[in-house]
Amino acid sequence: MGWRRLLLLPIALLASLAVVVLARTLAQAPDLDARWRLDANGHLQLIATDLPWMRPALGHSLEVIVAPGTAPLFVDGRRVVNSSRWVASDEEREAGARQQRQMARMLQPGAPVLLGFTDRMNARVTPHARGYATLGITFWLLCGLGLALELVGAVVILVRQDIRNFLYAVMAQCQAAQLLLAAVDAVPGMGNMSLLGGHEAALRMALDVVTCAALLNATLLYPTPLPPRRALASLSWLAALVFSGAALAFDLPQAWWWCQALQLSTGLLVIGLLGWSYRITPHPYATVMRRLSIVTVGSLALVTIVVALSDRMPGEVQSLVSAVPVIWTVFFASLLLMSPFLARSQHMMREFAMLAGVSTLATSVDLLFVAVFSFNQFASITTSLFVALGVYAASRQWLLDQMIGARAVTTERLFEHLLRIARKVEEQPERAADWQLELFHAVFQPLVARHEPGFTQTTRWYEGGAGLLVPLAVEPPSNAGSPSQFDDGDQPEPRLIVLRFAERGKRLFTAEDARLADRIVEQLRRAVAHDRAIEQGRSEERGRIAQDLHDDIGARLLTLMYKAPNPEMEDYVRHTLQDLKTLTRGLAATTHFLSHAAAEWKADIAQRLSPTGCTLEWSFTQDVDIQLNVVQWSGLTRILRELVSNIIAHAKATHATIHADLANGVLKLTVTDNGVGGTPKDWSTGLGLGGIRKRVRMLGGTIAWQQNTPEGVRCDVSVPLAVPATPPSQTSPGASVG
Amino acid sequence: MAVKVLILEDNPAAREFLGRVVRESFSDTITIVEAGDLESARRAIRIAGGAQGYHGVDPFKLVLVDLELPDGSGLELLEELRQYPATKIVTTLYSDDEHLFPALQCGADGYLLKEDRFELLVEELQKIVRGEPPLSPAIARRLLGHFRTNTRTGMNRRITDEGNGAALRAPAASSTFTAVAFAAPSPVEIEPPLDLPALTPREVEVLTFLSKGFTIKEIAALMSIKWFTVNDHIKSIYRKLNVSSRAEAAVLASKQGLV
Repeated sequence: MGWRRLLLLPIALLASLAVVVLARTLAQAPDLDARWRLDANGHLQLIATDLPWMRPALGHSLEVIVAPGTAPLFVDGRRVVNSSRWVASDEEREAGARQQRQMARMLQPGAPVLLGFTDRMNARVTPHARGYATLGITFWLLCGLGLALELVGAVVILVRQDIRNFLYAVMAQCQAAQLLLAAVDAVPGMGNMSLLGGHEAALRMALDVVTCAALLNATLLYPTPLPPRRALASLSWLAALVFSGAALAFDLPQAWWWCQALQLSTGLLVIGLLGWSYRITPHPYATVMRRLSIVTVGSLALVTIVVALSDRMPGEVQSLVSAVPVIWTVFFASLLLMSPFLARSQHMMREFAMLAGVSTLATSVDLLFVAVFSFNQFASITTSLFVALGVYAASRQWLLDQMIGARAVTTERLFEHLLRIARKVEEQPERAADWQLELFHAVFQPLVARHEPGFTQTTRWYEGGAGLLVPLAVEPPSNAGSPSQFDDGDQPEPRLIVLRFAERGKRLFTAEDARLADRIVEQLRRAVAHDRAIEQGRSEERGRIAQDLHDDIGARLLTLMYKAPNPEMEDYVRHTLQDLKTLTRGLAATTHFLSHAAAEWKADIAQRLSPTGCTLEWSFTQDVDIQLNVVQWSGLTRILRELVSNIIAHAKATHATIHADLANGVLKLTVTDNGVGGTPKDWSTGLGLGGIRKRVRMLGGTIAWQQNTPEGVRCDVSVPLAVPATPPSQTSPGASVG
Repeated sequence: MAVKVLILEDNPAAREFLGRVVRESFSDTITIVEAGDLESARRAIRIAGGAQGYHGVDPFKLVLVDLELPDGSGLELLEELRQYPATKIVTTLYSDDEHLFPALQCGADGYLLKEDRFELLVEELQKIVRGEPPLSPAIARRLLGHFRTNTRTGMNRRITDEGNGAALRAPAASSTFTAVAFAAPSPVEIEPPLDLPALTPREVEVLTFLSKGFTIKEIAALMSIKWFTVNDHIKSIYRKLNVSSRAEAAVLASKQGLV
């Protein structure tokens, strides 16, 4: 890493030096102390000067410049100030370059020139060095942008030396040079463009075409290498070389048209290739780049049309016409600057690029209107401004969404998901990892979402936003109690969630997404911790109540039982005490397995029956073991206890049979005795039967007594305990047919 | 000579009641010493020759201990009386394993539930003294879990060796225990395993039946053995629990630098 930083320093210094040299050259170039404006007829109008003897000429147009030793130059305003890169016709461009050269020859430091204005006004002016102050803010801004692009290009190639980054560096360097040239163009004054001799236009076209070739080549390689990459890349580089050579060495006829055609066709090709690439691999980068390309190519097409039609436009909008390509250049350069950081969501840069893009579009469209409807200058500029701002304000969000891609989940939905998953994680901690995966799937809708072992403290994204690594907020309890059938000792615990290709491959993960994921993880952790704390508090509270009940009331009931005046009272208190114990145990433990409960019932009943000389026949079957909640456990415990109490106290039976069977979530209890039951209808209500009925009803079940033959009573209780996990597969034949 | 019995119970009514139960249970002459808190119980034991129960003095033959006492838990006394040669019985209102299991680990020979009928209590007490301690399904389940955990920490081999010889008839017992012994990958041993007693397959079988709510007689029938053999197994389980918890306590103490 060290050598890269060391290398970056001289590169930055060199680039800065280039800018300084450029500024110095321009500052020392001779210039007339005057400000000009293009008027409606394409003449240069004097609008400001510091020289007192030129004041009378204010508002008049410059017609001719005379210098000793050269032929007088008849000034064509359009050709004096602007770069000839964006001039459609060969003759115009050639004439412009010629005039720039001639003007540069005439303006020599210390050699006075005579300026001839309309209405026969003359002024004698001595050109002198311009100075840094008059270079203008636009010059410095464009230089700054060019410098930034140059440095980003250098950084990209220094970070990793591969063909992709090399191509990006080529594009960046070309466009940085383009920006510097545009900066020179933006300096007010005459003859600036003569710095490069007559080749300025050809050079700038060559830079654009080389950029196009590099862009096409990069598209062929990334995000997905496309099959015809060798042929197409070679072709594009060949075209770029041939064009550059032809434009620089010979004056290629219709060079501007060739250049625009090459640029536009490359753009269309890139759009097509990105679409193809997305169909092969749905990498979101392809989608995002495709959207950007469409905007860029569309605006370039508009700019081309505007420039081609500039002849038909009135003189007063000519300065605007010349500004459109500059804005487009800035737009393209800022896109290029942004593309390595697409996922890092550089707000400033994004807004800037959008503003430049929208301005290009709005100004171009506006100028087309001017060409068609012949507005005047003021109207056109105002309209242009309003249209640009209006379009920007209206389409900002939409464009942002289109460029970067919108998040599909609203805040409200996100909140719901979060709460739901927090609850699920709490309910089924062993599946915590799955629930969290589901949550992130719902939030980002990635094409790929899976667990992986590994560790990350915070969310990280990789491959420039194609993927996101999220830490697990709540890790499933290790060794979750149920050993699996196969030996999974080799598989490490999942600790990470890997998401790839957000929004079904239409969007890149941004730094905001990473922050959002971190927030979600944090909130989930907090929610689960909160739930656990509440649950713990509740169970502590219940435990304390149970303890108090047991210690205080229990001890008193016990004393009362020992001091009972007769056995009936003693039994009554004993039952109360047992009910209290059931109650407190239910409070202390929240769930009981049915199989465990059944074992305890059985042992308890056997113990109670044995001193009475009554034998017990017990059977218990269940299709699946379920967990009873507190209500079910204590309800069933007390129902059974009452039924057995009745057998002991009233039936005088010698044999009792209890069958318990759980099938499809319904527990059927059959309690039979051979005692002196008689007709159940004749029983008095004081036998605790009311209590049993009430409890069965509370559990949503049914109870029925009937006289048993030859003797005794049979009681059938049926209580639904759980919804069957799967509906019974055997339905009645009629139902399946009908 | 009269049989000395210590009843530690803070509720006077219960004390009196338990005294009646004790007198009813045995035909010998009974001397009952009552204590309302730990302090007076300790004093009574000191008078009778100290907690170690040295030979030649006149120790208690039977100690009934309540768990919830004004000046502490009955478990403390049980812990002190580990070596005491008396039959130690926990009398409590708490019938759940959460409360009873620690008492059994502290060396209790059995437990009585105070709310049971007089006749039932007499019968239970006689059984415990005869060496037929009770074992509720919940505690049996707890014991199974306890010894299985011990087994995991380094006693695979012993279980395996004994398991090869004996034919395991109880399906549940054989499936859980052979699974542990043969199939499970042995965990990485961070520390040397405790030399804790392991259960024999028969004992595991008995425990498994008990945990399912079977009575001693039913288990004897199911296993085709005499009911007192079942009782022997249960007594052995009690003893092993006591030994294992003592060994654990010793290891814990040595770890904390107490020994």
